[in-house]
Amino acid sequence: MYIIVVGGGQVGYYLAKALMDEGHELLVLEKDAARTAFICNDLGSVCVRGDGCEMTTLAEAGAGRADMFIAVTGEDEDNLVSCQAAKHKFNVPRTVARINNPKNETIFKKMGIDVTISSTNIIMESIEEEMPTHPLTHLLDIQEQGLEIVEIKIPPHSPAIGKTVKELSLPAGNTLSLIIRSQQKPFVPDKDTILEAEDQIIAITTPESEEALGTTLRGS
Amino acid sequence: MGCGRVGGKLAGLLDIEGHNVTILDIDEYSFRRLPPEFGGTALVGNGTDEDALKKAGIEKADAFIALTQGDNRNIMACQIAKHIFNVPRVLCRTYDPLRQELFGSLGIETFSPTTIFAQMLKERLLKAKPTGEKKAK
Amino acid sequence: MEFHKILVPVTGSTADDEAIRLACRLTKKKNKGKIWVIYVVTVKRSLPLDAEIEPEVKKAEDVLNRISNVAENEDYEVETDLLQAREAGPTIVDEAVEREADLILMGVIYKRRFGQFSLGSVVPYVLQNSPCEVILYHQYTP
Repeated sequence: MYIIVVGGGQVGYYLAKALMDEGHELLVLEKDAARTAFICNDLGSVCVRGDGCEMTTLAEAGAGRADMFIAVTGEDEDNLVSCQAAKHKFNVPRTVARINNPKNETIFKKMGIDVTISSTNIIMESIEEEMPTHPLTHLLDIQEQGLEIVEIKIPPHSPAIGKTVKELSLPAGNTLSLIIRSQQKPFVPDKDTILEAEDQIIAITTPESEEALGTTLRGS
Repeated sequence: MGCGRVGGKLAGLLDIEGHNVTILDIDEYSFRRLPPEFGGTALVGNGTDEDALKKAGIEKADAFIALTQGDNRNIMACQIAKHIFNVPRVLCRTYDPLRQELFGSLGIETFSPTTIFAQMLKERLLKAKPTGEKKAK
Repeated sequence: MEFHKILVPVTGSTADDEAIRLACRLTKKKNKGKIWVIYVVTVKRSLPLDAEIEPEVKKAEDVLNRISNVAENEDYEVETDLLQAREAGPTIVDEAVEREADLILMGVIYKRRFGQFSLGSVVPYVLQNSPCEVILYHQYTP
């Protein structure tokens, strides 16, 4: 695959290195001359000095034959504009953008950027997982369907303990898809499965009903 | 969005005509460019930030104009205004003619001062030429 | 001054002929030394690295043949190589390292860019990064 990475900062540099190790053809576009020289020196002739938002730079970089375009500069507006240029001007099949301000995720999605990665959100999620009091942990967003996969642990005094899945009256559209119970193999619950304290549950929910799901399984 | 020379001037002109104008800039010092009699609102805030835009009343705005020095910032702000807040009229300054072309085709009303000004200068220059030549002969 | 392994990057300029003659003179006599002549075809990023760029490859082959003949007239047999790369500078340096050359000898001609004298980007890169001695033969072009 031919991959163009815009931005040769820490993220761009290590990303380039990792993708090259996987055997991809790669090019980093970096505005700063010294940084460009550093990357070329370290990784070979895979970095060109230039602005990844300039059409002429993108044309010279061979954006027309790129399979993937990844914008990871520290500026959201630059990532948004260069990804749109890649997508609409050069028809790159897959565009990926780093988002620094999580609020910008909506506009990136609306403008058709295929994949967005918000570093702030990733850090938040990792911290969430480490917080014992947090009701549920987001594992994955399925953005096209408006669904999310979450993990919930049943606390010792939860009203759900001893009830079957059927009796729980889960919010509409919510499904418990897996239960991880200590000293047992993870299993898929059915409507008659009885919940126990300390069960770890992987569930499918929606952003609107995740709070209700949390209350049902953990109590308020 | 953007209280530079053009932004400040435009805000003043619209204000005199009786429009309800809010101008946004990340630097309070920029507001010195507004005419002293400016009767609109001047807000410190980043125009690519949805909350700052809401504060500026974008949900009720009839038009949004981006005039900062950064082409990309202008484009992003305009896309937010148009696609998230559904502002009916959105104008964007883009110095780079190529970016102007692309985002123009993607539905943002863009102006490139570079192209407009170069074209204007050329026309001025060539219009004056015939008379100049006659004199020389 | 005598060298054992000389790398001569050529570009098809008029300075190439004199550069190869000089290389022959600087190599150990009786063919004990080795001379490699390389031509680096630079491939634009808009094309894959292994793209077949006919006219350029043809030109490179012609240049390498011509330079071989010049060397033959000096009673030297040189080895020629056509390389395809993104950038000439690093490729020349890499070749010199790999072949353990003790000299890089390049012919350059007077170039103007935007009205200013310019060595281009390849020569300065080689001078800066070469693993061995470098001799530039700068051809006088009035």
